[in-house]
Amino acid sequence: MAAHLSYGRVNLNILREAARKDLREFLDKCAGSKAIVWDEYLTGPFGLIAQYSLLKEHEVEKMFTLKGGRLPAAEVKNIIFFVRPRLELMDIIAENVISEDKMRSPRDFHILFVPRRSLLCEQRLKERGVLGSFINVDEYILDLIPYDGDLLSMESEGAFRECYLENDQTSLYHTAKGLMTLQALYGTIPQIFGKGECARHVANMMLRMKREFAGCQTQVLPVFDTLLLLDRNVDLLTPLATQLTYEGLIDEIYGINNGYVKLPPEKFAQKKQGEGEKDLPTEPKKLQLNSAEELYAEIRDKNFNAVGAALSKKAKIISAAFEERHNAKTVGEIKQFVSQLPHMQAARTSLANHTSIAELIKDITSRQKIPPPLHPGLYLTLLHFSIIVVLCCISCVPPYVSASEAFFDNLTVEQEFMTGVDTDKVNTYIEDCIAQKDPLIKILRLVCMQSVCNNGLKQKVLDYYKREILQTYGYEHILTLNNLEKTGLLKLQTSTRNNYPTIRKTLKLWMEDANEQNPNDISYVYSGYAPLSVRLTQLLARPGWRSIEEVLKMLPGPHFEERQQLPAGLHKKRQQGENRTTLVFFLGGVTYAEIAALRFLSQMEDGGTEYVIATTKLINGTTWIKSLMDRLEEPPF
Amino acid sequence: FYVRASYQEGKLETRVSLLQSAVDEYNKAKNEFAAKATEEEIRLLRFQRRVEEEKGERVLGCSLHDTLHCLLTLGLHKQAEQLYKDFRVPDKRYWWLKLTALAEKEDWEELEKF
Repeated sequence: MAAHLSYGRVNLNILREAARKDLREFLDKCAGSKAIVWDEYLTGPFGLIAQYSLLKEHEVEKMFTLKGGRLPAAEVKNIIFFVRPRLELMDIIAENVISEDKMRSPRDFHILFVPRRSLLCEQRLKERGVLGSFINVDEYILDLIPYDGDLLSMESEGAFRECYLENDQTSLYHTAKGLMTLQALYGTIPQIFGKGECARHVANMMLRMKREFAGCQTQVLPVFDTLLLLDRNVDLLTPLATQLTYEGLIDEIYGINNGYVKLPPEKFAQKKQGEGEKDLPTEPKKLQLNSAEELYAEIRDKNFNAVGAALSKKAKIISAAFEERHNAKTVGEIKQFVSQLPHMQAARTSLANHTSIAELIKDITSRQKIPPPLHPGLYLTLLHFSIIVVLCCISCVPPYVSASEAFFDNLTVEQEFMTGVDTDKVNTYIEDCIAQKDPLIKILRLVCMQSVCNNGLKQKVLDYYKREILQTYGYEHILTLNNLEKTGLLKLQTSTRNNYPTIRKTLKLWMEDANEQNPNDISYVYSGYAPLSVRLTQLLARPGWRSIEEVLKMLPGPHFEERQQLPAGLHKKRQQGENRTTLVFFLGGVTYAEIAALRFLSQMEDGGTEYVIATTKLINGTTWIKSLMDRLEEPPF
Repeated sequence: FYVRASYQEGKLETRVSLLQSAVDEYNKAKNEFAAKATEEEIRLLRFQRRVEEEKGERVLGCSLHDTLHCLLTLGLHKQAEQLYKDFRVPDKRYWWLKLTALAEKEDWEELEKF
């Protein structure tokens, strides 16, 4: 069921099992039949820990989502609320409980806070006069959720916003707690490295917690050799760029949620004879994506340009395998063939699925034609001529450019910024996009990217962009712009020196000759740009951070190194040729492309280090910027 | 925070006065850009109100860009022109706007003129 978790170097299934055990214990505390009322946000992460079947074994008969008003009818003895500690949710629960008390025979209420109980919430329940109705008020500690064989996430959406915008360190506390749980299961991690303010806080908290537990040392042989804590604001650039790995693109275009992706159904329609076009499914197709699927594990981290080749190779292998049946002569051979059938069938379905997904993505990304670079002055004069032409082609509806062209133009501009071309001027492409009222997030991503690559924008340029955005998208976005400035994504150039080029050169962030088919460097994940965060990780392993001291000073926040004493006798004796294992923790989110780059490093033959990745949230540029936006609901006039 | 409060106000007059306080606050905080942007928003709201009263079209609360678009599709070129000058909209964006709006309306004659 969760086999993909134990494939990796570190068996993350242990963590999952521990989480399941806690859940079972809680469920058994409430004897008799139960109904669970879910905070909707939690169902996704919980699905990764326990399927419905497990809940059913413990007499869970009904499940509802939490909403105001009355609970749906259910003949159960216990009602359990699974919620995040949020005040607004408490009000809903109170409403539920009160209406329930009036209506039916008394039953037992329980509440389970995930990941921590909060005094504030209990106080709120008390105010509403319902706290006494609960028999059990408990917490379920779910910090790090295993996503894949080498990937852990806390799935706390607001972590970046809380840490860097609101100065709220709750999620850092959860991080430290989560890491302590991890150390209890996998042994103390001897070496801790870190870069950034938040990393420093987490490390301090961990060391303090360790002192508090000084009495009870865990007697587990350490699995991880090193822990690296990285602040997201050390590398703001990477998430802004469009990811170009297969998995990254799926996430950019369709969004991956808790390991599932929803896709438009047209391409997946089963073609049956005699069936009309009418019966096309209208529900989006939901697919689970993880390394348990052999094919997906193989192609997820490839640059998208190399996926096609991999798919067709696979197709050949599968059809060859099916051809084998003609060669099977003896009964034994036939039996062997039949025994492989289910596996082959599964492989064929997965191939079909991924070919469809790849087609969908290709529609959006393929380079149909490369637009010639236009001189801005020329552009305006050309505009007048092209108007007539354009108008003949389109009847009336925007967008004027096809999706693939827009994608390619966008990429070109991103790459110009990353290589440092004209980052100090107002960019004409961004201007055009604003004029055509492209999605605001796309604009913000580009503007922020320009700001980061230029170490801030000049007053004139910055004000121009801000004015354009406010005039086009509405004054209410002034708060969002303010947030972006506060987190440093958008800033005013204060010193005349732009240190991004220095950073880029020293860390080799831009590789001209990125090889997309057979990569030899991590820069393949962005077709040229090597993610700064991953480069730092790579350099830490070899030759060490001392060699890049100068650059580290240019990046925000302190860098540090700590050692944790191991109890005697637990020092690992390294065998010849055995790799080191490093846990990289991204505070504030990580992208799929960065994960791909780290997996690539793990696989490098002479790398000597294997990586396990943990984060507060899996992000992409869009979800990230969205978490920083302030939406104001407008009342009708 | 006055800006947030202003959006919870359904009535125009209260909103304008709240925004005015926001301007004062921004000025105190020496955030010139935000102060100016807020003043412009107030002016825009007043303008939209005038248009609504005169033409009976609902434009209140839209962004400047949307307001312009709305005016152009309605054929209110004079008002649009005035807004464009008052708020110093960059030429390029205004052209784009005019183009899309006119094309949507399929008002080829006006396009020729322009």
